[in-house]
Amino acid sequence: MPDETTAVATPPHLQLVNVWKRFGEAPKQTVAVRNVDLSIEPGAFVTLIGPSGCGKSTLFSMISGLLPPDSDGSLLLNGKVQQDGALLGKIAFMPQRDLLFPWRTVLDNATLALEVEGMPRRRARAKAEALFPEFGLGGFEQHYPHQLSGGMRQRVALMRTFLFERDLILLDEPFGALDALTRSMMQRWLLDIWAKHRRTVLFITHDIDEAIFLGDKVVVMTARPGTIKCEEAITLPRPRDLGVVTTPEFMAVKKKLLAVVEEESLKTFAAASP
Amino acid sequence: MAYGLRFIRSAWPVASALALLLLLWQFGAAALDIPTYILPRPAEIFVTAIAKWPLLGDALTVTLIEAVGGFLLGAAIGIVLAVLMILVPPLEALLMPIAVVINAVPSIAFVPLVLLWFGLGMESKIAIGALAVVLVVLLNLLAGLKRPEADAINLMRSFGAGRIGILWRLQLPAAMPGLVTGLRVGLARSTIAVIVAEMMGAYSGIGQVIYQATGQVDYLTVWAAVFVASLGSLALYGVLVAIDRKLVWWR
Ligand SMILES: Nc1ncnc2c1ncn2[C@@H]1O[C@H](COP(=O)(O)OP(=O)(O)OP(=O)(O)O)[C@@H](O)[C@H]1O
Ligand SMILES: [Mg+2]
Repeated sequence: MPDETTAVATPPHLQLVNVWKRFGEAPKQTVAVRNVDLSIEPGAFVTLIGPSGCGKSTLFSMISGLLPPDSDGSLLLNGKVQQDGALLGKIAFMPQRDLLFPWRTVLDNATLALEVEGMPRRRARAKAEALFPEFGLGGFEQHYPHQLSGGMRQRVALMRTFLFERDLILLDEPFGALDALTRSMMQRWLLDIWAKHRRTVLFITHDIDEAIFLGDKVVVMTARPGTIKCEEAITLPRPRDLGVVTTPEFMAVKKKLLAVVEEESLKTFAAASP
Repeated sequence: MAYGLRFIRSAWPVASALALLLLLWQFGAAALDIPTYILPRPAEIFVTAIAKWPLLGDALTVTLIEAVGGFLLGAAIGIVLAVLMILVPPLEALLMPIAVVINAVPSIAFVPLVLLWFGLGMESKIAIGALAVVLVVLLNLLAGLKRPEADAINLMRSFGAGRIGILWRLQLPAAMPGLVTGLRVGLARSTIAVIVAEMMGAYSGIGQVIYQATGQVDYLTVWAAVFVASLGSLALYGVLVAIDRKLVWWR
């Protein structure tokens, strides 16, 4: 497990230095993201939590290269500064909505990124098919998205993201729309997958339990304009099972984070109702 | 095999509705004592159609070739234009106003000009048929190509897809339902435009048969021609429905 207290020789996998994003012009300008500094170590599972509208998705758009950050700051991948748009195609990004294509079967949705990369269809399909049991989708290869449940759609979107083999994965609230039971199952399942594939994961969530349960590190953002409020290393042993959420260690971290998140959420409300 | 079965299943409601209509017409007209010179009975029309089949069959062949030719040409132009406009947005701003102006006039109004330019043969009918199709295909396809939201386009970009990749894997499939609508409306329009154009000047074709029979006050032949033309467009429509199923396969 990477531990940010020990100095490492290798550069962080991803580094954000003074990243800003403003929308619109001076009088009616929205500052979505402000002065974000963040380092993510290779192989780490980092969860990002913050009130609604604080700029989490905007941050992801910038990290995946879709949106250029304002010129004040910079994005570094493996220690190298990335120009605008240079990150496109380098990061596996799963957006907030599953965005499955209704005209593609589950199998062909999963291979979308591989096809874009130019892999022949047959090889892409063979590669994806091997992952179906692991993703709990065995037997659904030839179904269309509208025939799936919400949890299954989410797993297809995750598989599509994993098949786009990049070392850094961005997951924007992948389980946000799921019921509590499915959600907790998917969390454990995701940890299994992550343990097997060992990628660096940056995971957005609204749920403090989820953030702690999954993460090596929880990053809390402030209300808009969002910046990093604090970072909390989670030292709970892995592999984690359902039991950890009732341990005193978990409770202590949760209590601490709840207070911080509550404070920021209240600010969001205060700003919304002047 | 399954395909034939599906065809029969989707065709029989149409067939039985038509049969019912013809029966009602046949016996209703007789019951109401409508004179046959005002409304001939279907049986009479049927007999006339068979008697005049050499003439009507040739005319139908010509009309169908013109309608399908015009349809294919117009659809091809519409599709190419829509794709170009998506790839080169300034083209849309430039060409759309012209297209809207042309579309504001019924394509039939261009028949005299087109006859002047292309003569009385099939070329002029194909041209007018194409004109009737281009815009409806263009507009429907263009709207379909613009349907994918920014999020879906961004997903493709994040995978490293370029303009063409996004067009091919996202925008074109998303536009298929719109294209199918355009093709359906287009085919009907091209058939109508071709027949009207034939009435205004042609060597052959259903429209010309109707025109000449009208001149000779031979209304039974007019009716027979109308019947044959209806059957022809029904067959075309059936082909198109089959193509639709191929284009929008996932529904
Ligand atoms: N393209 C844009 N133009 C203008 N403002 C934008 C744009 N994109 C985002 N914003 C604004 O930036 C702020 C942050 O949005 P963002 O979607 O990043 O929030 P979020 O933290 O992901 O919220 P949620 O948790 O609800 O998903 C919002 O106030 C939003 O209105
Ligand atoms: Mg968001």
